[in-house]
Amino acid sequence: MRKLTLAVATFALLAGCGYSDTQVPAAVTPEAAPPAATVPCEDDTGDPTRSYATADVGNSKAIQDIRDQGFLRAGVSADSYLLGSRNPFTGVIEGFDIDMVNQIAAAIFGTAQGHVQLRVISAADRIPLLQSGELDIVARNMTINCSRWEQIAFSAEYFQSGQKVLVAKGSGIRSVADLSGKRVCAPAGTTSLDNIQEIAPDAIPVTAGNHTGCLLKFQNGETDAITGDDTVLAGLAAQDPYAEVLTGEALTDEPYGIGVNEENVDLVRFINGVLEQMDADGSWQASYKKWLQPSLKAPATQPDPVYGR
Amino acid sequence: MTQTQVDSSHEAQLTKQLVQEDVPRLLSRWQLVAVLACLLFAILTATIQVLSWNANRQAANNTEQLVRVQNIQSTLFRADALATTAFLTGGLEPPEQRAAYDEAIETITRQIAEAAEAQPADRDALAALNTAVTEYNATIAQARANNRQGFPVGAEYLRTASAGLRDTAVEGSAIPIVQALVAANAERAEDELNAQHPFLILLPGLAALGVLYWVNRQLARRFHRRINIGVAAAFATVVVLTVVGFFVAAIQASSNNDLEAGSYDTSYRESTARTAANDAKANESLRLISRGSGQVYEDRWVVASETVEDNASTETLPYWADYVAVHQDVVRLDTEGQYDQAVELSTTDTTLDAFDARSQEVIADAGFQTTDALRGGNTGILVLGFFTLAIGIAAAGLVTWGIGLRRREYA
Repeated sequence: MRKLTLAVATFALLAGCGYSDTQVPAAVTPEAAPPAATVPCEDDTGDPTRSYATADVGNSKAIQDIRDQGFLRAGVSADSYLLGSRNPFTGVIEGFDIDMVNQIAAAIFGTAQGHVQLRVISAADRIPLLQSGELDIVARNMTINCSRWEQIAFSAEYFQSGQKVLVAKGSGIRSVADLSGKRVCAPAGTTSLDNIQEIAPDAIPVTAGNHTGCLLKFQNGETDAITGDDTVLAGLAAQDPYAEVLTGEALTDEPYGIGVNEENVDLVRFINGVLEQMDADGSWQASYKKWLQPSLKAPATQPDPVYGR
Repeated sequence: MTQTQVDSSHEAQLTKQLVQEDVPRLLSRWQLVAVLACLLFAILTATIQVLSWNANRQAANNTEQLVRVQNIQSTLFRADALATTAFLTGGLEPPEQRAAYDEAIETITRQIAEAAEAQPADRDALAALNTAVTEYNATIAQARANNRQGFPVGAEYLRTASAGLRDTAVEGSAIPIVQALVAANAERAEDELNAQHPFLILLPGLAALGVLYWVNRQLARRFHRRINIGVAAAFATVVVLTVVGFFVAAIQASSNNDLEAGSYDTSYRESTARTAANDAKANESLRLISRGSGQVYEDRWVVASETVEDNASTETLPYWADYVAVHQDVVRLDTEGQYDQAVELSTTDTTLDAFDARSQEVIADAGFQTTDALRGGNTGILVLGFFTLAIGIAAAGLVTWGIGLRRREYA
């Protein structure tokens, strides 16, 4: 029998059909990551945008320490177009958030030139890096809220953002009500996705790793709309001439603040002074007009600071 | 009883036995058994030898196919490393890097076609691979188009293309397919390298010798001569052919074992190292593109680097060490906030290119040594197979002649 098998194998091999086909591997679906645990807010003071009032802290230890190290260490984003993103032509990180960092550095050193060390961080790194003291500030479209106040401190609100929807021009979608039966993309595990499902329950949720991933799906016809902060959507719309952000009332309020270590109250007071100065000299407005207004297509004013902590 | 009386009594008994038996018919039967034994021995031994020859031929072909698919795998990672590194240099990528990427994709496309021609069993997988490579190339083109306009979504297309290349969660992703091709061809090559069976070749020989011995005994019992010269000559022929066949197969098996542990292993492991090295470089670029969010790529760099160190040959390890030193500088600069200097170093450094070039030479040399050794002495086994068949048939003729002598004697 063995000899017979060998003989048959010989002829089969000589005929060139001796091997079974190489199998194309099937997809292996990874286990879904558990949703991030939300930190409960135990000490709700009412208005989370309340910060520390300005004071003459220019020569305080907090500011002097930064002068001594020679540069301001700021955590920023490099892929949020118009807020903080790397210009591929110049290699420079630029945007509305970066303007805030440069203004603070200029107030400390006289000029921002050569006195800023930008560190590109992920959203998840924002609080740990402030707590560990590796960063002086974080300017990375960070929403001020009560639970974050329990971990870090915030400047006064420097931009009033809110959740909106991006759609294709001429898609016929004019409001959130038109999203029924349409696919809407948001980064997985974000509150934006939960909000849109609450407001437009018949919309079909689509997820991606981040907002730029949603734009990729939008351009490839895998989603009809994207939802997220209006600033982020403005950055996406600026990259695609066929996209527009729906105008009108925002679905939620997202007040942005500069994050600081909670011990560093003098730095917070100093930053609030810088923000007031920006309001007074028109530099905030200039920055808004340069980066966000062309895509948001609406004028805006700097939020009035709220103090009282 | 006198001696004369004993002899005459024995002769009388033999004559009586021969008269009782149908001796011509018995002679024909023994002749048939012995001839069949010789012919079966010749056919089976020759078949095993042709099978050995074919196994070596297939081992060489499968090794060539393995080198080919491993080259496709390495070149895919090299293309990805080139695409990601070019991305770091700004909107307008250097023409030479663009040309190197295009050349890598052309190499992959050509080798997919060659591999499909060489191994029909790989055709379906190669067709799926071709689709995956086309999709990867299209996504890279979208990444470029966006990057040239200064849009960050270009980087997202690049990340998607890179991730899609490797993603096991996506049906038809390129790298899992090419890994399946590497595994299948390595298994085929190793199975064929281990297909030399010296002891198997003894079996038909021993069986034929047993039959010839038995036939000779039957003849000796009925005739006065202890040895039939024809059967004895066939016996000696089978002994010689079996011993020669055994030693040739044993030498071949030993030589194949040496190859498997030597040049074949070098080629396989160096290819694994080259693939991991290019994967590492792509991850270095992705780390820099992602900037502060790039730790996941650094972790992958570490895994790839360990694979290189475990598999690279002594010829290429020093080149890898050069690159590792540069990478550590890139990481240090990036961590210290000197991002632009990190990018400058990463995009202008040529140590990985040096590793890649040397690695390709090592793979080509080792692959050639393997296939050359397998094909070099292989024709001898085929000739031996035909020789065994011819001499085995001649042994059957000797048996016929030897038993023919007894038949004439009896007549």
